[in-house]
Amino acid sequence: MDIDTDVQMEDAVTAHDDSLVDDDHNSSSSESFDFSMNQKYSRANEAPGSNIDTLDAWIAQLSECKPLSEESVKKLCNMAIDVLKYEENVQPVNVPVTICGDIHGQFHDLMELFKIGGPCPDTNYLFMGDYVDRGYYSVETVSYLVAMKVRYPKRITILRGNHESRQITQVYGFYDECFRKYGSASVWKLFTDLFDYFPITALVENKIFCLHGGLSPMIETIDQVRELNRIQEVPHEGPMCDLLWSDPDDRGGWGISPRGAGFTFGQDISEQFNHTNDLSLVARAHQLVMEGYSWSHQDLVVTIFSAPNYCYRCGNQAAIMEVDESHERNFLQYDPSVRPGEPTVTRKTPDYFL
Amino acid sequence: METAEATSVHTGASSDDLYPIALLMDELRHDDVASRVQAMKRLDTIAIALGPERTRKELITFLEDVIPEDEDEVVAITAEELSKFVPYVGGPEFAPLLLPVLERIASCEEPIVREKAVDALNEISTSMSEAQIESDFIPLIQRLAKERWFSLHVAATGLFKSIIIRVLPELRKELLDLYYELIQDDSPMVRKAAATHLPEITDILTENFGYPGKSDDFHWDLVTSMFQFLVGDSQDSVKFLSVDVLISILKFERQIQDKSHLEELFRSLVLLIEDPSWRVRYMVADRFEQLAANFDDDKYTLNLVPRILDLMKDGEAEVKKAISKQLPGFAVLADKADSSVVLEQIVPCVAILSNDESEVVRSALASEITGLAPILGKESTIKHLLPVLVSMLKDEFSEVRLNIISNLQVVNEVIGIQLLSESLLPAITGLANDKLWRVRLAIIQQIPLLAEQLGVAFFDQALGQLCMEWLWDSVYSIREAAVANLQKLTKIFGEEWARSELIRRILEKEGEDFDNFTCRITCLFAVKSLVPVVNNSIIANDILPFIEKLERDAVPNIRFNVAKALLVVSKSLLVPGSDSGAYVDIVRSKIVPSLEELKNDEDVDVRYFAEQSLTSVKADLEGLS
Repeated sequence: MDIDTDVQMEDAVTAHDDSLVDDDHNSSSSESFDFSMNQKYSRANEAPGSNIDTLDAWIAQLSECKPLSEESVKKLCNMAIDVLKYEENVQPVNVPVTICGDIHGQFHDLMELFKIGGPCPDTNYLFMGDYVDRGYYSVETVSYLVAMKVRYPKRITILRGNHESRQITQVYGFYDECFRKYGSASVWKLFTDLFDYFPITALVENKIFCLHGGLSPMIETIDQVRELNRIQEVPHEGPMCDLLWSDPDDRGGWGISPRGAGFTFGQDISEQFNHTNDLSLVARAHQLVMEGYSWSHQDLVVTIFSAPNYCYRCGNQAAIMEVDESHERNFLQYDPSVRPGEPTVTRKTPDYFL
Repeated sequence: METAEATSVHTGASSDDLYPIALLMDELRHDDVASRVQAMKRLDTIAIALGPERTRKELITFLEDVIPEDEDEVVAITAEELSKFVPYVGGPEFAPLLLPVLERIASCEEPIVREKAVDALNEISTSMSEAQIESDFIPLIQRLAKERWFSLHVAATGLFKSIIIRVLPELRKELLDLYYELIQDDSPMVRKAAATHLPEITDILTENFGYPGKSDDFHWDLVTSMFQFLVGDSQDSVKFLSVDVLISILKFERQIQDKSHLEELFRSLVLLIEDPSWRVRYMVADRFEQLAANFDDDKYTLNLVPRILDLMKDGEAEVKKAISKQLPGFAVLADKADSSVVLEQIVPCVAILSNDESEVVRSALASEITGLAPILGKESTIKHLLPVLVSMLKDEFSEVRLNIISNLQVVNEVIGIQLLSESLLPAITGLANDKLWRVRLAIIQQIPLLAEQLGVAFFDQALGQLCMEWLWDSVYSIREAAVANLQKLTKIFGEEWARSELIRRILEKEGEDFDNFTCRITCLFAVKSLVPVVNNSIIANDILPFIEKLERDAVPNIRFNVAKALLVVSKSLLVPGSDSGAYVDIVRSKIVPSLEELKNDEDVDVRYFAEQSLTSVKADLEGLS
């Protein structure tokens, strides 16, 4: 069942020792059992007791779309590094899980997403990157997701998208937003340094390969992804770049991407990759699709996009994909959230009355 | 001078304290705009540190030199800060010192900066004496208004309101004459600004009219001719502002109870209603109730009825949308004037509007139309309004349906739930599976109300099945609402009903869809929500065994929710009662061991929530003994 393949043994022991101090009640009855458990199921990515209250308070604050103080962001990012550095390049994920695409700072729509899919931790989530840029609430969005990750490391997986990078965020809004909300670039620096630790892909029960962009001509097997050194800024080229930048295409083979990074890959490539790695599906995000999700390559690849009315003007639906225990897939589509205080007459308010 | 000043601060007596100030002063000259903005936000700190005298002599002079050339962003902050500066320069006595720098900022072309300066000037004027106003503030207005540049005129228009009532009558006349010129300014921007501020000025004159010791002059002729100029303005963006001026003039008429001018004002209003520009008509439509209320005369209310009908048939959707929002408010007034007019004239027009081709119009109407029910009364509502509501519930645009459903309460109060449910039940069940989840949610929220009125038998037959189906909705929020709904229904129909109708059906799910995670967790949520509203026997015999079966579920999310649910069960079982002994035993012999086991689960979240529950259960048990 939920046997973790974590590697974080060394932290596990210390963290557990700390918690035993105020834990005298049960230690005698279950000590031997606990000890053996401890070898197998590390507690390293369990937030230590006192931190849980702090995290719950942060999550409560963030869920009202109120950003954390710079000091708290700093603590949060340090805690997150301790969790994320032990995750794998190909992070294993269990079913049931709900897989989501780009959010892009649309915080209220992220809250809508949880209304549709259910709250975390009751529902398990896998986000495939692009939390920041474009929308007005990148800071709140990424703070919220990172806080959830630290609080419930087993319940939520957050992958890296091509926007989780120093270079892209300076152009598409996250940098400016941090500057505007904190008066300096330090929060931007904290987050972009943290992004280096995000896992780049996930594998759901060895069957669904999840990543932000797409395949790479330099990656034939998933094991090759495991060998990459991911803890760095997203490079301009190479396998790590491709995984975060590539797109599926109707044309066969590898093609030059109009984005200037990554490649386009055809159905033949997807067939070969899924066959070699015994996969049923590649799930990815990265592209705006009007229905919120879109199949390509005869159902070998699915694109999921979770920012409704992208950039507040594209008019697209958003979607998430639920995968249940029997690997049945169910797509849930949704529209932008209704925001209290904002009139519902968004479509055609004449500007001269404003 | 700048450097000298910074140095003098730096080398001052208590240089330790003043050192940060020197830094701030340096930051005010920083190359980076953001740093200057930050520094400017702490201008008050600098002023406090410098003391009033040096603030006057050094800081203000410094600002006069530096600020007007700075970036808009910095200047805007400066204006904002200066609005609080009267105490820092040594009190009201020195307030006029702040005027020159703000005057320079006010002449800025960037509207945001200009407005900040105008706001600051108005703020400062409140602490100035009458004599200071006459000697410093009025000349400032006059200078701005006489300059040859439009943005200065715009700034001038914003300054009248704070002082108009604080000057002597002759001077007031002079100022209004000046305003009269501004309202006819060559630049539409100035006319627009003047028109925007005129209602407020008019209101101030009205409020102070006739009070001893205050003004006793209103300058009716001046104000109304300004209004007439605006009605006749060539720019519709100026003209539509006259609607608010008209409302202010009508308020004055109401206050002095003079009806002699109403006829002429009504003629102007008709001109505006018939204006070829839809923005002007929109403005009238948007303020329709206010206009009617301020005519405050049944004759004119009835004269307005054909006008509102015209606006409801307007060619522009925005106008119809605006007038839809005014319907209930105006209908109340019309009903007061003539009790037949709403039914005979307005309702037929509403029926036509409910089929308008624009969904925006229908949606706006849908959110207001139910407000007509109290005016029409029970019989007319049933006969004339209900058919419109039913047809709007079938509208193809979901927002229309949602707006009707969300506002049914008021109709219910008028005609009673029985009639409402009979005529609307088919529509409601039709919407139970609406594509838009918020429509489904709105329906669920109406269910307890319906249940109370319909009674058990009719409810089971008409809605029972539906209430269970919502539990298996694909959207979480619907499932959540469905769970909450079951708890409310149990409060209404009782625990035996819950056992036979709800719990039985939930437990049956075990045989059907239990391989589905969502189904299992929803069942768990459902029984957990029923625990607080059913008796201990049902909890111990039906609910607890069901929860225990999920204890070893393959999915951790289920297991930690079992841990949470066991706490809720324990809380209920431990409530002292006649037969509590047996239930305490169940907590000890079943719930505690279960939680002990979950506390050693392989999953961290299961361990956490099991531990939380266990601690709480044990504390409760200790509290008993």
